[in-house]
Amino acid sequence: MTDLTVTEAAAGATALKRRRPAARTRRRHRGLNGRSLAVLVFLTMCALFFCVPLYVVLTTSLKTMEEIRQGQIFALPDTWTLEAWRFAWNEACSGITCEGLKVGFWNSVRILVPSLILSISLAMVTGYALALWEVKWAGTFLFLLFLCAFVPLQIIMFPLIAITRSMGVYGTILGVAVVHAVMSMPVLTLIFRNYYKDIPAEIMNAAIMDSGSFWRIFGEIILPMSGNILIVVLILQITNVWNDYLIGVTFGGYNTQPMTVNLANMVTVSTGTASYNVDMAAALLTAIPPLVVYFLVGKFFVAGITAGAIKG
Amino acid sequence: MSIRWTRIAPQIALTPALAVTLVAFIGSIFWTIYLSFTRSRRVPDYAIDWSEWGRQYARLAQDAGWSTALWNLITLGVGSGLAIVFGFVLAAMIDREKRGESFFRTVFLYPLAVSLIVTGVAWRWILNPTMGLEATLHRIGFENVDFNWLAQGDTAMYAIILASIWQSSGFYMALMIAGLKSINSEIWSAARLDGVSLWRLYIEIIIPMMKFTFLTCAILLSLGVIKAYDIVLAMTNGGPGQSTWVPAYFVINALSQKQNLGYASAAAVMMLLITLAVFLPLVLLTAWQNRRRAAQ
Repeated sequence: MTDLTVTEAAAGATALKRRRPAARTRRRHRGLNGRSLAVLVFLTMCALFFCVPLYVVLTTSLKTMEEIRQGQIFALPDTWTLEAWRFAWNEACSGITCEGLKVGFWNSVRILVPSLILSISLAMVTGYALALWEVKWAGTFLFLLFLCAFVPLQIIMFPLIAITRSMGVYGTILGVAVVHAVMSMPVLTLIFRNYYKDIPAEIMNAAIMDSGSFWRIFGEIILPMSGNILIVVLILQITNVWNDYLIGVTFGGYNTQPMTVNLANMVTVSTGTASYNVDMAAALLTAIPPLVVYFLVGKFFVAGITAGAIKG
Repeated sequence: MSIRWTRIAPQIALTPALAVTLVAFIGSIFWTIYLSFTRSRRVPDYAIDWSEWGRQYARLAQDAGWSTALWNLITLGVGSGLAIVFGFVLAAMIDREKRGESFFRTVFLYPLAVSLIVTGVAWRWILNPTMGLEATLHRIGFENVDFNWLAQGDTAMYAIILASIWQSSGFYMALMIAGLKSINSEIWSAARLDGVSLWRLYIEIIIPMMKFTFLTCAILLSLGVIKAYDIVLAMTNGGPGQSTWVPAYFVINALSQKQNLGYASAAAVMMLLITLAVFLPLVLLTAWQNRRRAAQ
């Protein structure tokens, strides 16, 4: 079977397993010459460009509307206030309900937990079976998974609506979670499979000799070895599910929509005058959970996005 | 007994995933293809009128909204392709100048952790004509600067491109850094001994060596562009008029606003074909690379 990976996919996932030998001796620190000064200045300017939106959103969310109307978007607030944050969390209107973003926040959490459990356990077991056990049709199946990993949701949207409706989960939290698990299954399975296929055959043979059954080997050998990849996938999936909009808006009902959908409704379907400070506070509230994950465990995040490079 | 189990257990374990693949992906794709030949409106209507089975596609070909969507797809693809170039420049600089590597990486990558809805909301606010960037530029003297991109049909796409570049450059940077790190370190010292200038080193040696990374980035970018929906919704909601429609937006619009299932399915099938057209080179690329790796 050909090794079905996007070039960097394997590299990303295995980067954590194998420490790169410290062969790069050109890492010597030289004095600050003209060229590296220019490079550093350029990089700093780029860094500023990347930070501008965050800065603008943050300061706007801390201003009053009178101050915002003066049009000084880059100025710091004269009077700092958390009123917009409170309003966005508790009272802001999304569609017809005005209970703030907290509704969406808790919906997102309630979607996140079952979708993580479903998608990761399914992908883990599938990846394990495909990587380490002889199944005749494994090659074909892997190829199918590889194809499916690229299918945009739009192409299977109506059938999935019809299927979830007939299962009675359309419009529920569980329905959204199930669709997340389905859509992420191919990519996650490929990630797990790539990780497990590097386990030496001797270990597996010894384990099978030792009358280890499929599930016992999984529980006693594979699971304890999966710490790193599990964290990578967990983070990848948390950010994916949290930042998703399309699945949430399509499969969520009126009371089960995730935070991103609430935010989009708040901002695009605005009745009356727009309160930009509230909009920005709402945007930040939505962005905070994945950003916290990113700044806490950035290394795993990078490994995750390069491994799951196939995500939309 | 135990030997039999070792044969059957993996197959049982694979059943759920196989069922998902066959039903939710393969079956659903054929379901959509079938629907695209029918006259289904709000609810599916499974009768196919064979005399005009392609009517949805014929309508699609004449729909101005669809051709706008296709053009925008190309514009978006080319425009956000700058993110790859930008990502490479950043990666090359970070890789050469080791100082602050982890700081710069962190800063350039954080937009990727942010939802595209949030990205769209943020950039829409920055591009707000009366209170945003334009107002500030006008006040400090650049009276003629026009940053009201989102309100004009011919520039609204640029705003979306700007936001996508901001969001995705870090991702390509990360892939490029991985690519640069895999280049043999002796090349650098050999080039220095030979007195090759830095520009020539990059253009004539490093970039050709990284052609796989570039190709991967290009394919991933294309696949991402085909899926682009959230960013369009958050920044322009397709407007002004239909000027920022993309195929992904078109399908959803036909499904939920026009309530025309057959038509939406036809557009979705076209999306699938575009995806395949991008996907095929990826398969070939992977096969080629494996052959090269095997040959080494």
